[in-house]
Amino acid sequence: MLDGEYGEGYEIAMSVLAKLGDIYGADRMLRIENVHIDGAAYGWINDSGLELIEKLASSGACFRVPATLNPSSIDFDMWQELKIPSCVANKQLRLANALKRMGGIPTWTCAPYQCGADLRFGQNVAWGESNAVGFANTVVGARTERLGDLADMCAAVVGEYPRFGLYLDENRRGQMLFEVDKVGMESFSSMDYGVLGFHVGSVAGAGVPVVSGMPRKVSNDELKSFCAAAAVGGSVALCHLCGITPEAKTIAEAFHSSAPEEKITIEAGDLEYTRQKLSTGYEEQAEAVCIGCPHCSVQELVQIARLIKGRKVDRNVRFLVFTSRAAKALTREMGIVENIEASGARVIADTCWNFVPLEAKILMTDSVKMAWTSLSKFTSVALGSVERCIDVAVEAKQLG
Amino acid sequence: MRSIVIRCVPVSRGVSEGEALVSKQPMCLYDSLDPRTGFIVNRRHELYGECASGKILFFPYGIGSSTSAATILEASRCNKAPKAIVNLETEPIITVGALLAQRLYGKTIPIVHRPETDPSDVIEKHDSVRVNADVGLIEVLRRGRSLGGVM
Repeated sequence: MLDGEYGEGYEIAMSVLAKLGDIYGADRMLRIENVHIDGAAYGWINDSGLELIEKLASSGACFRVPATLNPSSIDFDMWQELKIPSCVANKQLRLANALKRMGGIPTWTCAPYQCGADLRFGQNVAWGESNAVGFANTVVGARTERLGDLADMCAAVVGEYPRFGLYLDENRRGQMLFEVDKVGMESFSSMDYGVLGFHVGSVAGAGVPVVSGMPRKVSNDELKSFCAAAAVGGSVALCHLCGITPEAKTIAEAFHSSAPEEKITIEAGDLEYTRQKLSTGYEEQAEAVCIGCPHCSVQELVQIARLIKGRKVDRNVRFLVFTSRAAKALTREMGIVENIEASGARVIADTCWNFVPLEAKILMTDSVKMAWTSLSKFTSVALGSVERCIDVAVEAKQLG
Repeated sequence: MRSIVIRCVPVSRGVSEGEALVSKQPMCLYDSLDPRTGFIVNRRHELYGECASGKILFFPYGIGSSTSAATILEASRCNKAPKAIVNLETEPIITVGALLAQRLYGKTIPIVHRPETDPSDVIEKHDSVRVNADVGLIEVLRRGRSLGGVM
């Protein structure tokens, strides 16, 4: 397979994966059912990534398994309005062409598990994008390692990935037990689930945490927020939630019948401390408010429309809502996009807040992932629930 | 000076010598390392403001974004990558970046992990170190400024 008979692209992909497998002690390559390609944005993979992908595409390599695509550097319909430089847009269009030529499915979303990807319990897949990896392993019980950018593309070209890490039963065993019974989660917002996820991730590091005491009514949107935050607080790619996720019907099952290495009781004060660490404040001075990291689901867009109905976004504030093109198309048909945008907000598809020039010093978001990872771009980033974000965006400001 | 030699496991092969830049804080290279300048740009990281380019970079393990692979590759293309990386455990995301840099640009970033003792307990910023990722050895060549060394 390594002698190049399938072309140079295949040979590059296979040689990188084979070396990776050697380093991490894989016994063999594993057939995978699908791939989620993280590095679909020029802004993330840069000229070196574009060079590699164009090289693969021009060598005739194609994806052997379904491969959904993560956000792009541009909203393909609105990039000019969003003032994306045309040199960036042109490189993104080249990248999009190469990815689609190889068979990439143009989902352009970081939440493919809510729009576009097929996942099943126990299935071996090869996913990039830390939040999506967490959701696939945790909520669905599919199996994936945390793939690096471009490794996911190599996996799609080969249709295989070295068998190590989270593909193996023994590495899916829970390690630390986090008890959250005392926290009082009944009234938790998605943001609160993010704060909890971040806290668990920062303690668990690269381990497999187990959480007991989470309310069973938790929604997939709340779990999305939890998984995304756990992946940036530490590098959690799998978390067992007792009574909720499929590999943890009981605590004993989550630990494969062995004892937890450590038991930690989380109290409301711990989460308040974490929330304060995540938010650098000044929400009343926010010049931009962003929702949709990870991308909003249809249901989240419906909720935003309900909360913002009849209100107007302050003229000094930019209010941006990020989603997938699939969810945008569905909610446009439902009249939801129109309702949200009637307030002055904008619903943006295909892309990530990372790539939109916000021209703001102070930002507010409901996303723990964004609050934690965006600080290098802003003077301050305030964190609050969706309700609070919308209140801040529409309140008349006492400026000047 | 008593010589300090730490055995470890090779990840990405090669040998590099340089000045140590040491952190005990896990790092997401994607939001911490600017691949075009080599500087650490994440205000929440203790190495904020330091330049990792041309240094031997020590941190316990990688966290967060899967984009870190592309960050290493791009830093390598721009000649701003660390000279070597030492982790307690190197995540495959970082390894893939180094493998691609080797495959596409013929540029080597030696990486080692699983050291027998935690290097951040004995190696300090400005120490001059050699990382031999062909055999799996970290060696302190000279003590840095903090001990009045010759750097």
